[in-house]
Amino acid sequence: MNLRNRQLIPSFARPPSRVLIRKVARYEEDLLAIIYESLREFSLPIKDKTVLLKANLVGHDPVGSMNTHPAVIAAARESFLKLGAKRVIIGDGPALDRDTQAILESVRLTEFTGCLKFGVGADFVDLNIDDVERVSLETRASLLKELYLPKTVLGADFFVSMPKLKTHHWAGVTLSMKNLFGIVPGSCYGWPKNILHWAGIDRSILDINAAARPDFVIVDGILGMEGNGPIQGNPKHTGVLLFGDDPVAADSTACRVMGLRPEKIDYLSRASTMLGHIEPSKIQQLGEPIASVRTSFAVVPAFQALRDQESK
Amino acid sequence: MNSLAPSAASQNHESFRALRAELFSHLRDAQNSEGGWPFHASGESRVEPTCWALLALANTSESSQASIARGFEFLRAQQLSDGSWPAAGGMSSGGWVTSLAALAHAQFLASEMLGAPGSLSEPGSSLSAGPVRNTIVAALQWLCDDYPRDSSRWQKFLKNFSSAKHESHNNEFRGWGWTPRTSSWVEPTSFALLAFASATAGAPGSRSEPGSFDLSPQLAKQVSERRELAVGLLYDRMCAGGGWNCGNPRVYGVDGESLILPTCWALLALRDAPDHPNRGLSLEWLQKSFAAISSPGSLAVAQITLQHYGIAVRESSRRLCQWSAADLAGQGTHVAAWSLLALNPSRHWPVPS
Repeated sequence: MNLRNRQLIPSFARPPSRVLIRKVARYEEDLLAIIYESLREFSLPIKDKTVLLKANLVGHDPVGSMNTHPAVIAAARESFLKLGAKRVIIGDGPALDRDTQAILESVRLTEFTGCLKFGVGADFVDLNIDDVERVSLETRASLLKELYLPKTVLGADFFVSMPKLKTHHWAGVTLSMKNLFGIVPGSCYGWPKNILHWAGIDRSILDINAAARPDFVIVDGILGMEGNGPIQGNPKHTGVLLFGDDPVAADSTACRVMGLRPEKIDYLSRASTMLGHIEPSKIQQLGEPIASVRTSFAVVPAFQALRDQESK
Repeated sequence: MNSLAPSAASQNHESFRALRAELFSHLRDAQNSEGGWPFHASGESRVEPTCWALLALANTSESSQASIARGFEFLRAQQLSDGSWPAAGGMSSGGWVTSLAALAHAQFLASEMLGAPGSLSEPGSSLSAGPVRNTIVAALQWLCDDYPRDSSRWQKFLKNFSSAKHESHNNEFRGWGWTPRTSSWVEPTSFALLAFASATAGAPGSRSEPGSFDLSPQLAKQVSERRELAVGLLYDRMCAGGGWNCGNPRVYGVDGESLILPTCWALLALRDAPDHPNRGLSLEWLQKSFAAISSPGSLAVAQITLQHYGIAVRESSRRLCQWSAADLAGQGTHVAAWSLLALNPSRHWPVPS
């Protein structure tokens, strides 16, 4: 099955979602064991399938608070292979710099993954310059009627969004759903993908997620970013990895970990009708309880209303 | 040292030549049957990689006339009725690649005017001067008519009521967006300026005045006005300390970091613009940053840029030779084409001043 054949199911007709939180203090821990064991709890249908890991690679990041950490990406790749995936592709379409190779060099991805093949039959796909296919945006949440999206995304059997835990100066937070801006190809829409800003960031997030439908989420929250994210904020150590089989539920849980109210985030609130669950009662919480890892994240002044009671 | 051993210089020369030859073969072999180039071998033909491949092949001395002719046939087939080009086949509206396609056509025409060997512009063919000029004029007209929305009167009015005071730039200037009716950004603005420069310069070396390229007085005036606004925009959007990023030099009071590629395209576009302290500052930034460039795409374009300003860059070709042609092509046809251009000492693009 690929993503093009998938049905959109209203949230009220969906079974409860599952989100798992693991405490991971440092990137030097045995991430392969942690991620492998965490994925096993979900019994994912990935045997002999092609899995796409959509990382969040933004740019030069000496502190390690901006990009999905390469150790997490590499451990996730190994874990999916160990669980029986036929092929695991890592992909992203960075938003601001078209020199994806320079970004990969700067994040030292291959130091963790080993040699990666680029181009035809690649282990890493630059989604900005992938072949594209027209996708009609049935949800019409934004002003966009269609987008041309990468064939690697549309053809993947199992699609995993792997964001960093960050606040965002325009969207409130950038997690697994906002991470999908990175599948919109720069070669068609530019660096940045400014057409999405004009169409409305929150509503574009809904349209893209409804079209591409991530199957699974792994949030790198070991070191996140607070304040003026997604680039110029401050590092925030949270010490968690978060896994989920529903992007809305995973992002809502991540917000609660950050001391933010997901219901107040426009795109998450809207997504809860069609794309997944936002209410804690519809989310089966596994692993660590939220309260044990909760860390208040600072936000820019425009988003102060997102902060929960304890954060105020 | 053994006097029979080849010197380091001649070894380097040989490795440059070998890589150039391999890149040339790679580009020629990657061309699809309909004449266009994909980003990756066996992919779908797209306007952007086709333009870069044509610019690179047209700058080599190797015989590639048939490839070039087929490449331009693909571009001509892709041009939309309004004069623009779409970024991907099937898209119904044009975008930023229109500037690249106009630039490639203008460079082709310039090389034909110079009497390049194996002329393709046989009278009556679609690549003869008349049709090519019409193609370029239609593209320039589309570019002149394409105003980004960020600096429209309505947007300026709305900004009076906005609480977001994070923008640091002057909205009186206008360049081009990546897609129509969005905001101005550094790279598409630079590509449009490069297209204007190539189309209005005539043959390399002739430096004729704008308007000599069969532009109507009205279009020549529009080109001149848009160029002035765009040059102003580029200088205004420079990052603190020199260089450019995509076009947001400061967000929420924090300075953005410059990036290599936007800086190079902006500097190439500003080569013939009136002098400005920001150009010198950005050139200095690029020179200082050059040694730390780790990717071949940025390295190749930075080399071309600095050499275009007459600045010698040591070791740059040797550094490019660290990668095989297959590695370079694996990063995309555009990277292979930029590398081939950089390794070609007799290139005639960007037009030498």
